[in-house]
Amino acid sequence: MRIGVYVCHCGINIASVVDVAAVRDYAKTLPDVVLAKDYQYMCSDPGQEMVREDIGAHHLDRVVIAACSPRMHEGTFRKVMEKGGINAYYFEEANIREQCSWVHSDREVATEKAKELVAAAVARVHLQEALQEKEATVTPAVLVIGGGIAGLTAAKDMADAGFAVYLLEKEAYLGGHVAKWTATFPHMAKAEEFLAPLIREVRSHRNVKVFTSATLTDLEGFVGNYQATVALTPRRVDVSACTRCGKCVEACPVEVSDEETWGMTTRKAIVLPSPPHDPSAAVVDAEHCLHFTDNGCDACVSACPEGAVNLKEPEREETLDIGVIIVATGYHLFDPARKPELNYERIPTVITGPQLERLLNENGPTKGELVLNGERPQRMTFIHCVGSRDHQVDHPYCSRVCCMYTAKQVRLVKERYPDMRVRVCYMDMRTFCRGCEEFYNEVQRMKVLYTRGMVSEVFTKEGRPMVRFEDTFLEEMMEEPTDWVVLAVGMEPPEGSDELQNLLKLSRSADGFFLEAHPKLRPVDTDTDGIFLAGCCQGPRDIADTVSSAHAAASRAAIPLFAGKVAIAPIVAEVDTEVCAGCALCEEVCVYGALKLDEARKKMTVNEAVCKGCGACSATCPSSAIKLRNFKNNQLLAQIDTLCVASGRP
Amino acid sequence: MKDVLVIGAGIAGIQASLDMADAGFTVHLVEKEPTVGGHMAQTDKVFPTLDCSSCILTPKMVSVGQHPNIRLYTLSEVTKIDGKAGDFTVEILRHPRYVDENACTGCGACAEACVMKGRIPNAFDMGLGKRGAIYISFPQAVPLKYTIDPETCLTLSRGKCKKGPPCKLACAADAIRFDDTEKTLTVHVGAIVVATGYDLFDPRLKPEYSYGKYPEVLTALEVERLCSASGPTLGEIIVNGKKPSKVFFIHCVGSRDHTVDNLYCSRVCCMFTAKQAHLVKDKVPDAKVTVTYIDIRAFGKGYEEFYERVQKEGIIYRRGVISEVFKRGDKLYVRGEDAFLGEVYEEEADMVVLAAGLVQRKGIDIIKKLGVKMGDDRFFSGPTPLDPVESGIDGVYLAGCCVGPKDIPDTVVQASGAASRAMAVLARGKAA
Repeated sequence: MRIGVYVCHCGINIASVVDVAAVRDYAKTLPDVVLAKDYQYMCSDPGQEMVREDIGAHHLDRVVIAACSPRMHEGTFRKVMEKGGINAYYFEEANIREQCSWVHSDREVATEKAKELVAAAVARVHLQEALQEKEATVTPAVLVIGGGIAGLTAAKDMADAGFAVYLLEKEAYLGGHVAKWTATFPHMAKAEEFLAPLIREVRSHRNVKVFTSATLTDLEGFVGNYQATVALTPRRVDVSACTRCGKCVEACPVEVSDEETWGMTTRKAIVLPSPPHDPSAAVVDAEHCLHFTDNGCDACVSACPEGAVNLKEPEREETLDIGVIIVATGYHLFDPARKPELNYERIPTVITGPQLERLLNENGPTKGELVLNGERPQRMTFIHCVGSRDHQVDHPYCSRVCCMYTAKQVRLVKERYPDMRVRVCYMDMRTFCRGCEEFYNEVQRMKVLYTRGMVSEVFTKEGRPMVRFEDTFLEEMMEEPTDWVVLAVGMEPPEGSDELQNLLKLSRSADGFFLEAHPKLRPVDTDTDGIFLAGCCQGPRDIADTVSSAHAAASRAAIPLFAGKVAIAPIVAEVDTEVCAGCALCEEVCVYGALKLDEARKKMTVNEAVCKGCGACSATCPSSAIKLRNFKNNQLLAQIDTLCVASGRP
Repeated sequence: MKDVLVIGAGIAGIQASLDMADAGFTVHLVEKEPTVGGHMAQTDKVFPTLDCSSCILTPKMVSVGQHPNIRLYTLSEVTKIDGKAGDFTVEILRHPRYVDENACTGCGACAEACVMKGRIPNAFDMGLGKRGAIYISFPQAVPLKYTIDPETCLTLSRGKCKKGPPCKLACAADAIRFDDTEKTLTVHVGAIVVATGYDLFDPRLKPEYSYGKYPEVLTALEVERLCSASGPTLGEIIVNGKKPSKVFFIHCVGSRDHTVDNLYCSRVCCMFTAKQAHLVKDKVPDAKVTVTYIDIRAFGKGYEEFYERVQKEGIIYRRGVISEVFKRGDKLYVRGEDAFLGEVYEEEADMVVLAAGLVQRKGIDIIKKLGVKMGDDRFFSGPTPLDPVESGIDGVYLAGCCVGPKDIPDTVVQASGAASRAMAVLARGKAA
């Protein structure tokens, strides 16, 4: 055996703490090590080239690189092995950065530890086995979950690239949150002007199939070859026959709180979605419809002149074969009732920014008039950061959009009601997006009082809303009467995130949003191969950044589909059928569903494409019949023994 | 058409190229510098994770250099673009490197031998480090091929050097080519991704900050090089020959500023300042570090949390702009307003860092000639601000800071985004 050892300086990341030359010289004394070198950056082009050349020139058959965490560069160095002409898995990376130089300051001790880590890696690499990557073909189709601006954008890109797209939306119509907005910042363009053409293009695209009222209920398979099960709630109205005449709505005896205005208005149990929601045909809300809950009412059926209502339409299920998945499930708005000092639930003229947006909308409940309970406000107070940058409600993060949507709403209000007295209470103005600082400058010139300081309480005095706030420039607490208070509520992870996380095996960051594979290198990828993130499900962002990330998710998702094949990593479980007793304990611990019991033979089988190589099965197996390749007992024990001997604890 | 052009090989161009190359398209990547990497390569650590920038960038640079589907043209510029989506004809001008890329092994013997060694300010180190007339910008350069700077090379600028000349004598690979010339080549592509990046605002346009007048006044990118292990001070914070004890960071230099006609926010300065304040405090724990700001814009994932952490580390944040940096006797002072206390103060400083903002690149006429419009902020601007990837011209897509300032995650995201639109054009073949 001929082993080459390389010790990386990582600039001064390693070399400032570890005596790299001493580690190199020590490595030369280890069994079968025929060559040891050190270099400033092993991951750089010349570093890689050096290893590649040495493999040929010195007939190396094993390589150990002492550098950073394998999570960073194991893949990089395995490719170098292949280029050098030896199996990529005859390689071991000793982590002397994260596990040594970054956590120790004593040069002598750190150098000794680095030597031990290298010796252990050399012991292990002796026992490494050659492994072969496999390839799987790819189904050229994508499942996009979420029919808001992110899902629509991603769907259009994937369809334009020539792939089959299944677009899933849990509501009865496409459009998401943006369909409820009145204007967009910074150009004040109508949300509809941007959204409606996009919906039309996606709808009419021959590569796209849209499922509304649809939820993902099961997912099997692996990158390139997923099978998704989708539950479809019936609309109970024939979309092609409905003329939106509204007779069904008139006839419906039910009255419930309307989600579209967050409870400011009521609706019936059969609803006409307002444009640009699509389809805008009526939809039956079975949860509240008396036909289902009580007496079998069919008032809407009789009222419809087109006979479009069918309360007997059944639930359906679809199975879809897809190669990749784009998650675009958006966000949920913070519930300001969690800040009781703002009295959102008790004072009717304390509303949220999104509610104001509906009031300002020509398709909204007041057709764009600023009226609540018949009264028009003379003064309005806007409060920033409601549910953002707030440890009290466990939301330390900034929601990125509230500064600007508030500025936009202030502008809409001042344009329509120039005499309105408006105060905005803020912490920091975060008008960072393109054209937004300029926008904020313009709004300030519209006679708007921007006050730096937070509101501590909203209360009533003699029936009138009062706001208590701090002006940090004047260093004073102030109280003033107002008519309406508008809360700039922030974003939270969407409902259903837990279920989706389990189905798709996704991770979440501390803020609860889905976690990207790497914040900079792979910002829209996830740790699950073939699953990508678009828009606010990964974290708050505005429309421009959402659209950007949706395009990005489409690009990343398109790569395996264009390539037509995916590589399957060979570090997976393998079953020694001689030893396996078929107890199936391993099947229970496998969260990926990679293990199945072959009932006939009473032996376990591994689906190598599904197995992620986590090792839970091999740790569980009572007879050591199931082993994880590249992490077999003898390989790990050789490494551990060496460390124990070195530290005097055999 | 399976070919695509990417202009600019910073992190945006790199990401867009890798996506399209991995998908099987042939990428022509044009970079005007001798190496790929752009501004990100000059950065020491990245916020908010404090990963070392080169640790996460280098593998992508290496992939670009080695990818079978990427044709990399460094020291090159696009001089002409004709045609339309699905069928563009592009002329690329390759400037002479005066070193044969195929022969050079990157050993560095030439740079050791150069008579100008250690005498020319290295632009990569913001002039704080020195190089010779034959050089590489930094050790991880891709391609790792030396370049002769014709303006400072004695052979090329004056027609004579020491006998040999020494670089040529030192080169075992015989790679030096003093007779190298400009070359023009033509490629045909179906789509174009523009990723030309940004320039830094020149703080000399704010003379009240005395940049260029006093060596204690630095730009953030200069501090980035001082923090870097492979930088001119090997990672030590040395200003004017000594470790600083009173450090002032000034936000919004050339951003949100009517006086220099830059009304926009540069989007990254709040966070890179928080990061640098942390690094300086980490390297010089006794230093008093003060950050002066207008608004703190910590809006990305984990940014607000990082800002909170930095404040807990003892870094002082004072709201209010600094009006002047000046010397009284031999001591340097800053004068500013503390907006909370409502008072003007003067304090001594021995290091002042200017968070200079981002401005549109110079030398982008070819993109303008294509018909891509610019906003009032002079960055490229498509038909709607809601889809920043679109340029307004079918087949041409925008990525990264050429469409407005943004941080690395947003840049990488947008680069993949531009790649997505470009691939859709390539996939549909010749446009009707």
